[in-house]
Amino acid sequence: MAVKSLVLTGYGLNCDNETAHAFELAGAQADIVHINSLIDGEVDILQYQVMSFIGGFCWGDDHGAGVVQAVRMKTNLGDKILEFIEKGNLVLGICNGFQALVNLGLLPAIDNDYTARTVALTYNDCGNFRDDWVKLTVNPDSPCVFTKGLQNLEYPIRHGEGKFYADDATIEKLIANNQVALRYANNDFEPTESEFPANPNGSLYDIAGICDPSGRIFGLMPHPEAFNHPTNHPAWTRNKAKNKKQGTPTDNGPTPGILLFKNCVDYFVS
Amino acid sequence: MAQRLEITLNPDLPDAEGLGIKRKAFDYFSIEIDSIRTISIVTIDKEIDQLCADDAGDEQGLDKVGLIRVRTEIFTNPVTQISSYSPLDIDCDWIIWVGLRPGVRDNPGSTAVEAIEDLLSIKFARDEDVYTSKRYCITGANITREQMEKIAAELLSNDIIEQSQVYSREEWDPEVGIGIIIPKVMLDHTPTITNVSIDSDETLMNISFERNLALNPNDVPTIRNYFLKEEIKAERAQYGLSDPTDLELEYISQGRSDHCNHNTFQGLFKYTDLATGETEEIDNLFNTCIKEPTLKLQKEKDWVISVLWDNAGAGRFDDDHFYVITGETHNSPSNMEAYGGSITGIVGVYRDPMGTGKGAKLVMGGYGFCVGHRNYDDDLTPKLHPRRLLDGVIEGVRDGGNKSGIPTTFGQVSFDTGYMGKCLVFVTAIGIMPSTVDGAPSDQKKASPGDLLIMCGGRIGKDGIHGVTASSEVFSEHTPAGHVQIGDPYTQKKIQDFLIQVRDEGLITFITDNGGGGLSSSIGESARSSGGCKVFLEKAPLKYDGLDQWEIWISESQERMTLAIKPENLDRFMELSKKHAVESTVLGEYTDSGMLHITYDGKPCAYVDLDFLESGFPQWEFDAQWQPPHLRGLYEPSTKEPTDYNKLLTDMLGRPNICSKEWVTRQYDHEVQGTSVIKPLVGEDRDVNSDAAVIRPVLSSNRGLAFSQSLLPWYSAIDAGNMTECTIDEALRRVIAVGADPDHVGGVDNFCWPNIEFDETTNPDGKHKAAQLVRSCKALRDMCLACGIPLLSGKDSMYVDGYLPGKYGEMQKVSALETMQFSALARVEDIEKCISMDFKSHGDFIYLIGNTKDELGASEYYQMLGHIGLNVPTVTPDAFMKSYRKLYAAICKGLAASVHGVYRGGLGVHLALAAAAGNLGMNVYLEKIPFESSEKITRNDTALFSESSGRFIVTVQPEDVEEFEKTLSDIPCTCIGQVIDDDTMLIKGIDGTEVINTPVSGLKKAWKKPFEDLI
Repeated sequence: MAVKSLVLTGYGLNCDNETAHAFELAGAQADIVHINSLIDGEVDILQYQVMSFIGGFCWGDDHGAGVVQAVRMKTNLGDKILEFIEKGNLVLGICNGFQALVNLGLLPAIDNDYTARTVALTYNDCGNFRDDWVKLTVNPDSPCVFTKGLQNLEYPIRHGEGKFYADDATIEKLIANNQVALRYANNDFEPTESEFPANPNGSLYDIAGICDPSGRIFGLMPHPEAFNHPTNHPAWTRNKAKNKKQGTPTDNGPTPGILLFKNCVDYFVS
Repeated sequence: MAQRLEITLNPDLPDAEGLGIKRKAFDYFSIEIDSIRTISIVTIDKEIDQLCADDAGDEQGLDKVGLIRVRTEIFTNPVTQISSYSPLDIDCDWIIWVGLRPGVRDNPGSTAVEAIEDLLSIKFARDEDVYTSKRYCITGANITREQMEKIAAELLSNDIIEQSQVYSREEWDPEVGIGIIIPKVMLDHTPTITNVSIDSDETLMNISFERNLALNPNDVPTIRNYFLKEEIKAERAQYGLSDPTDLELEYISQGRSDHCNHNTFQGLFKYTDLATGETEEIDNLFNTCIKEPTLKLQKEKDWVISVLWDNAGAGRFDDDHFYVITGETHNSPSNMEAYGGSITGIVGVYRDPMGTGKGAKLVMGGYGFCVGHRNYDDDLTPKLHPRRLLDGVIEGVRDGGNKSGIPTTFGQVSFDTGYMGKCLVFVTAIGIMPSTVDGAPSDQKKASPGDLLIMCGGRIGKDGIHGVTASSEVFSEHTPAGHVQIGDPYTQKKIQDFLIQVRDEGLITFITDNGGGGLSSSIGESARSSGGCKVFLEKAPLKYDGLDQWEIWISESQERMTLAIKPENLDRFMELSKKHAVESTVLGEYTDSGMLHITYDGKPCAYVDLDFLESGFPQWEFDAQWQPPHLRGLYEPSTKEPTDYNKLLTDMLGRPNICSKEWVTRQYDHEVQGTSVIKPLVGEDRDVNSDAAVIRPVLSSNRGLAFSQSLLPWYSAIDAGNMTECTIDEALRRVIAVGADPDHVGGVDNFCWPNIEFDETTNPDGKHKAAQLVRSCKALRDMCLACGIPLLSGKDSMYVDGYLPGKYGEMQKVSALETMQFSALARVEDIEKCISMDFKSHGDFIYLIGNTKDELGASEYYQMLGHIGLNVPTVTPDAFMKSYRKLYAAICKGLAASVHGVYRGGLGVHLALAAAAGNLGMNVYLEKIPFESSEKITRNDTALFSESSGRFIVTVQPEDVEEFEKTLSDIPCTCIGQVIDDDTMLIKGIDGTEVINTPVSGLKKAWKKPFEDLI
């Protein structure tokens, strides 16, 4: 049985297609499900092992990114989602989905409190929406299921509200618990010390993605699903020319974007 | 009692919006501000006992819990924000409040209603709403009221859609704050159908003026004749109608407008060449120059699926998919309200593919902005300074595109003083659809008698209705400022998701969008498909009461689609509509009566023959007189060669129409949908513009779509025919450069022309502009036929003129250069063969394909030196196509390491950009560049800056040289140098002496500098 992955859609979310595609490439069976189909009971979350909160502009992001989605999900499905998590399933939040997860309180869930809003993703320091590729370092000591075995990633970011913010004590706890799974990095894959544009939004401690203490809930601002094919990478034409010159064969394995989704699948298979 | 909630960021967090305003205040107006904190205001206009359900009230008798939940759970982030239902106490010297005028679309207000309804399980009544506004708390030692008024009016608000208020520290009452401001539309009006007297042509013309119908005097007799015919009168009488109703005249006016009917392009042109005395009559430019060549190409190319009739044209992507494309402009609205105009433009053009065939999914968008110079400081004072206008249109397309979830992959920004009269905002939409839906071809659609007529999407208000009522209504604080619209990508995204699902379930028989003309246009179009319709207008959902029937009929309220579905599918349709939170309403049914029949609560509003608009109206006529450029006093300037080419090239790279506009590109999500193959910015540092964008729209396929746009209005100063052919050639070369098949390229022509109707006093050069249009259309026809480019779509915007106040109070007419943006959409067989423009590695050989000619006329180089010149670039499409096919063959064989077209600025500029993208240097020998033996290039400035068309710079790895040269035999193509691993652009001149020796990094810096501080 393939791992079943639920990809949320509706109300202005917009990365449903490529997120489902990424899951399928990783070996999962992905269903795109409208938020209202969960609320009206047409689809039961508990039929799935992975639930994805995806990128987009839910409710236009008019009152803080991910806020209204979080309100709707919490009001109508709060207990069901907690039950889903208690059963040992996985939750992934990408970009707008990450914003929704922190507003739901599912992240960072310090001390296993899955309802408190203790961190925020707020307006980029640069003051605008930004699309660019970033380099990321992976914390090898993190319990994060999704980043297991990965290192030195490159994914695109596309957001106006991605600055990770929390008070000092919270940040320290996140670091101590190894909940900081992904950090923005410079060209040498070292932390940027908040230097723009390597750190594209001014995130504290260069935080690009965090997980809950169990490592089964993960949110990140970059878009792994947008690196679903080698030609998504900004340097692929340059690498192709370089490989040709050096006689290096091209790597036909899964892209680093798909590897993150593969970790979801492998978690259940193992 | 309404509640006013104020929210702001924690004081220890930077306020990015405030910092942006502070920076602009200084950069634009030299006003020094210490700090700005932004406060968001949410005013909830709802009976409070409902908001507070069962909870106990506080000391004011209000329920605490409901309001507290609204405040804390929706509108306040506990980590980053503070908020209060009383005015927040933020210390400052000045306060500026900005809010929308009544009737202006308040997107955050609407989502706030949804959120509150959801949280508290309550419903807002129709006259209840949420209104959002902002106040800015400003500190600064020496700020004056005048400065604050300036910032309020010229930075923070636009009085067309917004109201503002400035408070000094002394004037601000911390208890009262801004007060409770409810910009609710209240129309004390009973909807009335008015019959219009047509006793004479003069009466009807007078009414046309009074009601702002803009009827053409030549149309008036045709209209009167129709309504005066005895059999028509008798038939109308049966339905309770006599003289035409206001709604009927509005319908005719909309349908006959140049915008809807393209009367100019369908006109009769009497063209005279003043030099030869030869005359020619061209009956209908659209038919002869657009329709005929496209139909001819459709017969030759089996991939051309659907052209010339639908909202967008369609081509074959693969066996299972069609792609669709269309392009529009939204110039006048953007010129008045830059953000609102451009967001409405991009969101609006995205409805066209949604309404093409049975509906396409959007996969890509493009933009083109033409404005006055960003740093303009001369004597003309447009309503919006070009800088502010540009900021606004950039942001509008950003929000419209990003929030639609559609990658904005390609675009251009051009500056010219001619665009100060009216700016241009081009928006292009590309979609994809399955080739069959429910077993039938997806590009076909037909409404049948008995099908239900459905409108889905937004509600109808006074948006976009022409100013007929402005003079007759007393202006109050509740008068809608409806003529300017704000697009709502969130609502439309829901509609798009919904429509794809109902399409795939086979529920749609006909679909079209509501754009210009609103229901009048969309129902008219769909009813012609079935042969008639009956509309019950009282069923149309309204934003507020008090709209006349004709207003409902022609309102351009956004985010609406009109559909036909079978009655038996209604339940399922409505079920899905509810699931997707989209409002859908049955407004009537389709018939085969041949008539547009409209009633309102049983009262007759219209009964008109559907084919009336297509019959018997007189053709527009234009005089076109062409004086060849040399007889207009144009000549090649007399100059001697420059001696400092290093400085010349550096300066040219920093010119506004050449330099980097990375700040625009980065604001646009160009990777959503995960389809990106060639991005808008490429190279080692991802910072130089690619020739075109490529996406992989079907994720499971390795086929791609390459998309480019080109715009070269400057050549029109010499000849709009050359402008047109060079623009098309550039767009074509751009897609070829990234690896597209030159024999599978479709085009979109977007004409933006100054008024061509001659008038001795108001348009004395009208005949010249008309001749330019004729020459442009002929060039379009010739190029499309020669290059095999069918015109998949196209639009025209004919009045790009404006009157601007000058220094002495005089009004000056400013007309744009004759402009055509050409978009090319091409198929890429295998995206892994795609190529980017950056030099890849040292040792690669640099080739130049295509002859360089003495064609500096209207070039960037001449413009830089203050000349126009005469030798405008020309095309030889047959020879070009031969080169292009050979280059394509080389790309398919993997023989090219980089390919880059030579465009505006010429060889010097484009060698520099390809090197800068790769962070590599070059050795180039100008003596080696190809030219025709009869047209030897003798000067280095000609070689470096001529803008001859048909050229590419290609780099080739040493081991591929032999095969490359073999593949490109028999065409002008020579090796002109080599890529070097050194930060130097080294160019030897035609006589072998060094003309350029300068660091590439310095050139790149100069190219990036002009707008580098913008984000």
